[in-house]
Amino acid sequence: MTAVIQAEKLRKFYGASRGVVDLSFEVEAGEVFGFLGPNGAGKTTTIRLMLDLIRPNAGTLELFGLGAQKNSLAIRRRIGYLPGDLHLYERLTPRELLRYFAALRGLDGLGEGEQLAERFELELDRPIKALSKGNRQKVGLVQAFLHRPDLLLLDEPTAGLDPLVQITFNELLREVAAEGRTVFLSSHILSEVQRLADRVAIIREGSLELLDAVDTLRARAFVRVEATFAELPPEEAFAGLPGVRELERRGPVVALALEGSADPLVKALARYEVLALDSHEADLEDFFLTLYRSGAGGAE
Amino acid sequence: MLSSVFAKTVRERLRAFRWWCLVTIGFVSLYGSVYPSIRGKESLNKLLKDYPEALKNLVGFGGNLDFVSGAGYLGSEVFSFWAPIVLLAVAIAAGSSALAGEEESGTLDLLLSLPLSRSRCLLEKLAALVCETSALAFLLWILLVIVSHADAMGVSTGRLAAAVLAALLFALDFGILALALGAATGRRALAIGVSATLAVAADIINALAPMASWLDKIKLASPFYYYSHGDPLRNGVNVRDALILLAVAVVFAVIAPGLFRRRDLTTS
Repeated sequence: MTAVIQAEKLRKFYGASRGVVDLSFEVEAGEVFGFLGPNGAGKTTTIRLMLDLIRPNAGTLELFGLGAQKNSLAIRRRIGYLPGDLHLYERLTPRELLRYFAALRGLDGLGEGEQLAERFELELDRPIKALSKGNRQKVGLVQAFLHRPDLLLLDEPTAGLDPLVQITFNELLREVAAEGRTVFLSSHILSEVQRLADRVAIIREGSLELLDAVDTLRARAFVRVEATFAELPPEEAFAGLPGVRELERRGPVVALALEGSADPLVKALARYEVLALDSHEADLEDFFLTLYRSGAGGAE
Repeated sequence: MLSSVFAKTVRERLRAFRWWCLVTIGFVSLYGSVYPSIRGKESLNKLLKDYPEALKNLVGFGGNLDFVSGAGYLGSEVFSFWAPIVLLAVAIAAGSSALAGEEESGTLDLLLSLPLSRSRCLLEKLAALVCETSALAFLLWILLVIVSHADAMGVSTGRLAAAVLAALLFALDFGILALALGAATGRRALAIGVSATLAVAADIINALAPMASWLDKIKLASPFYYYSHGDPLRNGVNVRDALILLAVAVVFAVIAPGLFRRRDLTTS
């Protein structure tokens, strides 16, 4: 199967400030590819390079086997794009905006916009300036899907969407993937990418940290346990416990990553006076902390 | 309706354009209502004879300072200052908002994610600019024809057309410069500031030229010189001057797409 997106040693700096550095990855047709990283990691830079809105300093980038810069028009014809920082024509109504974009794509009417708007329960005839953030995001999503693109570039697509709309969005993504179309999903939320993507690339400070199937990532998933002590235990108190890694210490609080059975940790904690105990699903920042503590993520 | 970048741009500029039309109607009516009380008062012209040369040049049009004849009145009241300013304002506003305005408001990313080349986008916005400025110039011409007939100014329809055409070409030079600056930098304030400053400088250099011999050479670089010195109100279209103004506009229009294509677009 040919790659829909192929990036090799892609490098982009804005003057002295870093966009992406030697970024290489491939996205296959028909997959939902999660592009995960904290804010400022270079996710938006990568997407804007694909659309030829900005030009790389070095490296190659191909979409559908075509050069991103040289064949940009042919590529953009097949792409639907939702910007992370969405700005719409405030004076237009969603219907006018969708008709305008459909016309510029050579489609009659609204393309698939009408059905999509119905699905997202988007009101088409109120001016965009009167819409809530969630409704604007719906307009952004509908315009990205209205021409049945082969590739969707979605930058933080669920920002501002309420949970019910997110469910509709999740269904839509699954349908798109089932039809053999491709989704490039950028996000800073680990759980969102885990729920939607087949494979995940993790990007940090412009470079690729990890590229793996989402199932592998899930197997590495853990719980973050935070214990508040009356008296701080010694540094090596939790070293060597099976499935336990210490993440960080802040004042009397020790944060630990727990995989598998909680029993060894509970027994170890019982030797000290524990004032409070809190645990929740790990987020992306925790995930990075375990990467660096375990040495898998290179230098700190 | 919203079937192209051109149509969309024309539509969104319509709101401000209506105001410019009202301003134009108001001013031309005012000028027209004042002229009958000046007509025939030759003593006014004698008074003006002792004005300093620079002032005569700044206030007058085409080297003549004459308030009394129809052509003199329209030249010094309408064409020396007011008409080019109104057309400039419309052209520079359209030119600066075309690309830089859209880039600063953040919609350009989405627009250029569509299968629309940067050059195409620029050319459609340029066409909208030319149409808008020309439409206002056309309105100005119609109003002047009416006023000139009503007040028996003795300026022919063709001479009025020649003067309005010269003012239009002059305004387009700076409007298209604003568009090119916006295309090159993505910064609207810079596009307005630089093009408006240069337009004013063009007028001042041309006005002060008789005062200093070194300015006399520099004035040949001032578009205002090519706009005014042939006195189109009295002599009709000066083909050489019109072609020079047109050439300047064409040069900016030809340079702009290259500047726009080459660079990274900014995010707001």
